[in-house]
Amino acid sequence: MTVEVRLERVSKSFGGVRVLRDVDFDVRAGEVHALLGENGAGKSTLIKIIAGVHAPDTGLIHIGDQQFRALSPREARKGGIATVYQELLLFPELTVTENIFLGNAPRGRLNMLDWQQMRRRARQLLDSLDSPDLDVDAKVGSLSVANRQRVEIAKALSQDARVVIMDEPTAALADADVERLMAVIKRLRERGVAIIYVSHKLPEIFALADRVTVLRDGALIGTRPIAEVTEQTLVAMMVGREIDHMFPKAEAAIGETILKVRNLSYGQRVKDISFDLRRGEIVGVAGLVGAGRTELALTIFGITPADSGTIEVDGKPVRILSPRQARNLGIAYVPEDRGLQGLVRPMTIAQNTSMAALRHVASGIFISLTREARQAVEAIASLGVRARGPDQVVAQLSGGNQQKVVLGKWLETHPLILIMDEPTRGIDVGAKAEIHALMSRLAKEGMAILMISSELPEVLGMSDRILVMHGGRLAATIDRADATPETVGAAMTQAGAAGVAA
Amino acid sequence: MTIKKLLRHETILAVLVVLALIVLAAQSPRFFTVDNLLNQGRLMTEVGLIAIVMTFVIVTGGIDLSVGSILGMSAIMLGVFWKNFGLPLELAIFLALMVGTLAGLFNGLIITRFKVPPLIATLGTLALYRGIAEGVSQARSVRGYPDWFYVLGQGQVLGVPTQLWLLGIVAVVAAVILGMTTWGRMTYATGSNETAARFSGLRVDRVKLLIYSASGFAAALAAVIFVSRVSTTRSDMGTGVELDAITAVVLGGTSIFGGRGTIIGTLLGLILIQALKNGLSLAGVKSDGTIVLIGAVLILTILISNLFHRDGTR
Amino acid sequence: MSVEAAPAFRPRRSGLTRFVSAYGQEIVIACAILILFAVVSLINPRFLGANNLNTIISGNAYIAVAAIGMSMIIITGNIDVSVGALIGVLATISGTLAVAGYPVWVAWGAPILAGAAINAVVGALVAYGKIPSIVVTLGMLSILRGGLVSITGGAWISNLPPDFLLAQQRLLGVPAPVWFMVICTVIAFLWMRYSAFGRSLYAIGGNSEAARAAGIPIERRIVEVFAIHGAIAGVATILFATQLQIIQSTVPPNLELTIITASVIGGVSILGGTGTVIGSTLAAILFSAIGAGLIFVNVSAYWLRAVIGLLILITVLIDMLRRNRETRQASR
Repeated sequence: MTVEVRLERVSKSFGGVRVLRDVDFDVRAGEVHALLGENGAGKSTLIKIIAGVHAPDTGLIHIGDQQFRALSPREARKGGIATVYQELLLFPELTVTENIFLGNAPRGRLNMLDWQQMRRRARQLLDSLDSPDLDVDAKVGSLSVANRQRVEIAKALSQDARVVIMDEPTAALADADVERLMAVIKRLRERGVAIIYVSHKLPEIFALADRVTVLRDGALIGTRPIAEVTEQTLVAMMVGREIDHMFPKAEAAIGETILKVRNLSYGQRVKDISFDLRRGEIVGVAGLVGAGRTELALTIFGITPADSGTIEVDGKPVRILSPRQARNLGIAYVPEDRGLQGLVRPMTIAQNTSMAALRHVASGIFISLTREARQAVEAIASLGVRARGPDQVVAQLSGGNQQKVVLGKWLETHPLILIMDEPTRGIDVGAKAEIHALMSRLAKEGMAILMISSELPEVLGMSDRILVMHGGRLAATIDRADATPETVGAAMTQAGAAGVAA
Repeated sequence: MTIKKLLRHETILAVLVVLALIVLAAQSPRFFTVDNLLNQGRLMTEVGLIAIVMTFVIVTGGIDLSVGSILGMSAIMLGVFWKNFGLPLELAIFLALMVGTLAGLFNGLIITRFKVPPLIATLGTLALYRGIAEGVSQARSVRGYPDWFYVLGQGQVLGVPTQLWLLGIVAVVAAVILGMTTWGRMTYATGSNETAARFSGLRVDRVKLLIYSASGFAAALAAVIFVSRVSTTRSDMGTGVELDAITAVVLGGTSIFGGRGTIIGTLLGLILIQALKNGLSLAGVKSDGTIVLIGAVLILTILISNLFHRDGTR
Repeated sequence: MSVEAAPAFRPRRSGLTRFVSAYGQEIVIACAILILFAVVSLINPRFLGANNLNTIISGNAYIAVAAIGMSMIIITGNIDVSVGALIGVLATISGTLAVAGYPVWVAWGAPILAGAAINAVVGALVAYGKIPSIVVTLGMLSILRGGLVSITGGAWISNLPPDFLLAQQRLLGVPAPVWFMVICTVIAFLWMRYSAFGRSLYAIGGNSEAARAAGIPIERRIVEVFAIHGAIAGVATILFATQLQIIQSTVPPNLELTIITASVIGGVSILGGTGTVIGSTLAAILFSAIGAGLIFVNVSAYWLRAVIGLLILITVLIDMLRRNRETRQASR
């Protein structure tokens, strides 16, 4: 089989953080090559380098017999590489046909676009993807996620792509749609297309892939034929062997129940969730991307108020309709997306730290800058933020220190309940351990912590109890004593695997 | 947005203002006289009041194009309440201010409740409010106000034009609010990252509602002063004032994308514009020629400060 | 205004429903115009006289033409608040050349070239200077407006040669501006829809990150579209400047906002990425029809602007409600 694309010792850093280190990778015609790794392992960066979005710092990219130091998106496309991104890059206000042919439309006379031909080709492409029900004149904005994805794939095919990169294509799909997608991918493979398939879902990988490559912390762990690996070996390759000593949850006295959630539902993503959270307890929430974990947090925090179900805080039934109300009830939320939801990046550490509890540093309506600075200095010291001082702009801090600032902001509100969504995503190993130590300390001081994490070792190491979500529902509740990568992993994937393996 | 960086834009601007004053004073002996300067302050007040509140609006990442129309509508209402309804002038003034505030509140409601982009929402109300002014007035002007009313626009207190006191008070209050209070902090946070502000439990929508209402109030206040200054009420009052105010604000270093800006900067912007207008006309440049310079200064200032600020924001 | 009710999610749709869903806003405005004409002519039959219709449409044709270029700008996610002043400047250039005895085609061609050149500079400042378009055009507004008056001294240009007065000529009984409006709209519509250039404008406004990933040279496109917008403003200028025997040194107040409004009511979303030029032309016709209609039913024309303002708000609110609904459906 011919090698379509090959990366040779590729490295890449963002703002001083190494996200890829000397990685070799290749994909051949007519194979599905799965790319596997935890969040932050460097998968996205790798595929973006192949797609020409990022330029590697060092290393080479080979396409066929051509050699590049870096690709532009245009060169990548010319080289026959097409990408179906996780966040689909379509234009919602344009029609299916327009989206498929944007940038590479067939021209008719006078160099004008030939709409008839384009619609016919779009129809053919979609039919070949087993989607005869998709209207080529519908606006993409009105389509379901699965259909949008088919449009993206059709777009890739319209460019005669020889390499198709798929970034977590099943993350947001229902089971029936997953099956259809897999059939499409198999058909592409039969046609000789090379497919790079990024996914968290092991059953899919075993159902589809010919080879699998595992990345961890930006380094290549290995590339193996699928026949030579099992789920266990893949999990071991992904998470390494450092589970036991890296995540110390100190013993804390478990107190009374502080948060009681019953039958909580919101839309299609949070369905009938019930659980208790007690003082001094860390409850982990595990699940695959799209399982509804963040949505659960947003519903408890009042961003997307619940459609139905009840919440009790400290024994009192409450209806939480806004983050402000949640905050006043003693709920804090350290969000998944630090840059967008957690921090005001152009503001200083002091200004961010006081953001959620401005009253504490103000007399009446006047902010006391000295009190604010003093508060920030204390937070910097107690959380171990490495910064020049309270006046430093948070955008200049590293990921771990930014996360500490977000945490500091919420600790100023003296919360009873702390929800942490992916607390250590994109953070280097040292800072990770510090954040974990902080969480342990807070739990010991009596705080109740709900921790959402995609990193299995973190969930296993930190949690007193683990809630596993799947498809918006609570799939399992596992106590610390019974929690192993196998039990939790099984609960995360098994329910979804049923449809896939068929 | 470090303090240093903020200061830099304002320092550039302050130097520009001083340079302009020196050059203009050298050009014409009549420029640097107390009378002339105070008179210029008088002329600056209406745009100034609007620009000061517009600073808040733009810092939140919004814009208010309807202020000129609110000015016109409030002025017409002042005349209508007083002349047609026969209300006491004091009450008419109060009601005109209320009309302006409500008009601003309406803008805020469209923007926060329906998520209409501020540019479009206020473009719509720009036409609506001006239309109401025209429809109600039917192109008739109202004159003949009692003498005491003219003190506001034409009189002096302690040797300084009355409205300049007002402008000074509003400027100080606004600077204090924006720079030192929780309200100001919420304004900056909303403009820098509305999502994070919301996630921190700040009442983003309420901040916006208040600011757009204040913008309407400022326009109405400017209307009352305007009427008092020119002794008459017409429906076309304040046409185009929104662009003058925005120019001053942006020239003053407020980012059109929100999150950055100060009242001091806006005041410097206002002074620079007014000084250029006046000084150049004293030096014999036709008054409209000075507008050209203002436009060029606006583009160049932003271009230069863009070149300086090519840092890690992207 | 209830075209919204059309079921939008059937998998296969007939040509008619497809048409309705793709041109919803345009159909709404066309219906509004028809209803307006019907109601007003019932009250006052003289309204439908051919002469009157011509006057209504031809007087505002220049706004419709200028709105075509504005729509292109807004579709890319930018805005131009200086176009009113630009038309004033170009009118003076054109008139001055005509009076100075240059051939008519020079007097007509100059504003088109000058408009393109001036706005190419604006586009470059936006694309390469990274200054927001609203700031650049705000500055341009001052420069052009001030420059115009200080050069002309506010004097009107009179003694225009008769053959310069294009807007007063007729072809087949239809005033020239109407021909221009229709032809420009059709060409622009086809070009926006069928040329790769036109489609790339939608892509830039809709999702500039994706547009860049698709290999569209965004900066160059912005400069080009501003230049085209300037050239179209030049065409609008000719229609505007040749209506009367004189050219005033001022344009109607808030002309730029009227033009922007025509684009927005016509369905061009200020968030960029959507809309057609047919809508803006229809909206411009609607404006003048409302104005004329108010006179014919004896309502004071002073209420015209209030009616238009109300119309903008209603249109925008409907648009936002539709958008909010679509995003909710997509996220659930």
